[in-house]
Amino acid sequence: MSLHNAAEINPARVNRLTGLMAEQGWDRLLLYGHAWRKDFFRYLLNVNFSGPYAIAALERSGQIRAVVSHPWDMEMLPEDTKVCDLPALTGGSVAVAGLELMDAGLANSLGAAPVSATALMEELRRIKAPEEIQALRRAAALADRGYECFAEIIEPGMAEFELVAEVEAFLKSNGAEDNFMLIASGGTEVTGMKPPTRRRFQPGDQVTTELTPQVDGYYAQICRTLVLGEPSAKQREAFSIFCEAQQAAQDLLRPGIDTADVARVQNDVFREHGYGEYTGAKYTRVRGHNLGLHPDENPYVLEDVHYTVKAGMTMIAHPNTYLPLSGYMVFGDTLLVTPAGCERLTMSEKKLFQK
Amino acid sequence: MKRGLIAWDKSELPPRAFETRLKRARERLAELDLPALAVYSDLWRSNYGRFYSNLMLYFNRAILLIPRHEQLLALCGLSPRVYPWIKSVTVLQEIVPSPDLSAKLVEVCSQRNWRRIGMIDPKGLPYDLHRALAAQLEIQTVPHESDEWERTMHRRARQMAWDGLNEELPASVGMLDREFVGQLERSLRRAGAEDLAILTTNGDRAPAPPSGQTLHDGFSVSVALEYRGHWTKIAQHHGSADSAIPRAAFLEVLSGALPFEICETPPEGAVVASALETRDGARRYFSGDAFWSTKNSLEPL
Repeated sequence: MSLHNAAEINPARVNRLTGLMAEQGWDRLLLYGHAWRKDFFRYLLNVNFSGPYAIAALERSGQIRAVVSHPWDMEMLPEDTKVCDLPALTGGSVAVAGLELMDAGLANSLGAAPVSATALMEELRRIKAPEEIQALRRAAALADRGYECFAEIIEPGMAEFELVAEVEAFLKSNGAEDNFMLIASGGTEVTGMKPPTRRRFQPGDQVTTELTPQVDGYYAQICRTLVLGEPSAKQREAFSIFCEAQQAAQDLLRPGIDTADVARVQNDVFREHGYGEYTGAKYTRVRGHNLGLHPDENPYVLEDVHYTVKAGMTMIAHPNTYLPLSGYMVFGDTLLVTPAGCERLTMSEKKLFQK
Repeated sequence: MKRGLIAWDKSELPPRAFETRLKRARERLAELDLPALAVYSDLWRSNYGRFYSNLMLYFNRAILLIPRHEQLLALCGLSPRVYPWIKSVTVLQEIVPSPDLSAKLVEVCSQRNWRRIGMIDPKGLPYDLHRALAAQLEIQTVPHESDEWERTMHRRARQMAWDGLNEELPASVGMLDREFVGQLERSLRRAGAEDLAILTTNGDRAPAPPSGQTLHDGFSVSVALEYRGHWTKIAQHHGSADSAIPRAAFLEVLSGALPFEICETPPEGAVVASALETRDGARRYFSGDAFWSTKNSLEPL
């Protein structure tokens, strides 16, 4: 069932948040969202609002109010949520989740310097409840189907943006609220993914993509590479390195592991094959990241970022980088951390796709 | 957001449009005795960055710096790996990697001995950035000025939205709302739309994201479309609503710091969207279009 317009307040989340407020001595917790980052707001009020911003306000008593910036958004709120103006939220000790995203003018109108609740909220959100995992499973299944659509439709002569239009249409038609997607095509000159261009696919192109559909608020991600035609020996060699690196991360991921080690085992594979220099910032961004209500959540999987993995986290491990063998290549799956290890949520075949 | 075609077509927005805008910005800096204008940009607050350079970020954030006596440069949170692409769709020649945007801006300013700089809508900066900058620089608000090129682009966006909607609307009754939205996405993104937000309603509530409902005769759809950085927003209902009575109307600014901000009195020169709700009994119909706000009225785009 879709929850887009049927927001229900989750009592367990209210309890977790009021518990956090009591611990921190906050009288009021504001969960801010704007058009691109609705994640903090949606943790409490799962409403896909359409105005420039919205704020959910939680009192320590459990009372919930909301500030919305568009008249149509009021009608999507749960019936018992009172709508109020911003001045009603001033006074007392106020903490804001998403403060860093908030317009300075809006933040300053809250009165005395507000406290950021962002880091603590991110920590609270990392471990997913069963209903969140169900949404992530649905998003992962749609990511798989979205990639199937991508691989089926692509053909030489089609422009990158035309392919993206088809994939977006497929995902939206099948229930995605949103999708974060990057793409690249060409050969060894390609150093990274970006939004689609007018470039037309050519025989022999290597086409990379990252699909991240959002279902009921939650994003799952898949990264795959496809060759239009017969992959070259170098492309096959490169893919085997990516596959080995991703598998190393998947084999390691379990509660208690340091995320830095999840990055290290991936990078070690590249080092063993003589491509260690391509694991740095010049050629790549991160070796994975957390997933949830935002498609690019902390912690980032990097060798210098330390975080102890916990059961219930959902992450992607993707050793995406440039290699001189192939150009920029991507490969990654969404993984749910279980008590004993991890479960792959995106189930597309682990292969170098070709068409 | 912004995962459609980001492009710069010089036949519709010639380099001299940006040269003129930058020249006007520098004239304004001279009048205000400021050494530089800083223009913030991210996925959502992209209107002003696009205006001066055609920069349209798909992730992360950036600050355009328009010095009075030097070349335009961008401080950018994205990786240098994508700078060739950014340069291919903008007027930017110099892009400085800036993982810490405020620190880099302060560094660039201090190297030039600038203590006071101009900024469009500093209150619209993200709180963390504003706080870091305000602690180290004196920031003076510089007003934004629209121009005819901008209106022309909004006009194209509006036309694209209407063309797509007029094509898809007639055969839409009986479809699931999400299927109709998917079909519109295909049509509009193939036509070149960069970003879309499509809402529907069967008349029992305000337009909202799809929820798996079958669309009935008289349903309404709202299409917000971004074409090369220029937003439009239109709304239309399927079929006739001859006996419907106007109940509510509001205006949203499309060309301001944030698109879709509700306004009582539109700023002169702004591009705005007007939404009208009418009712026939309990049934609600929505319609709307984009306009250009002049001193005393709203003019058709």
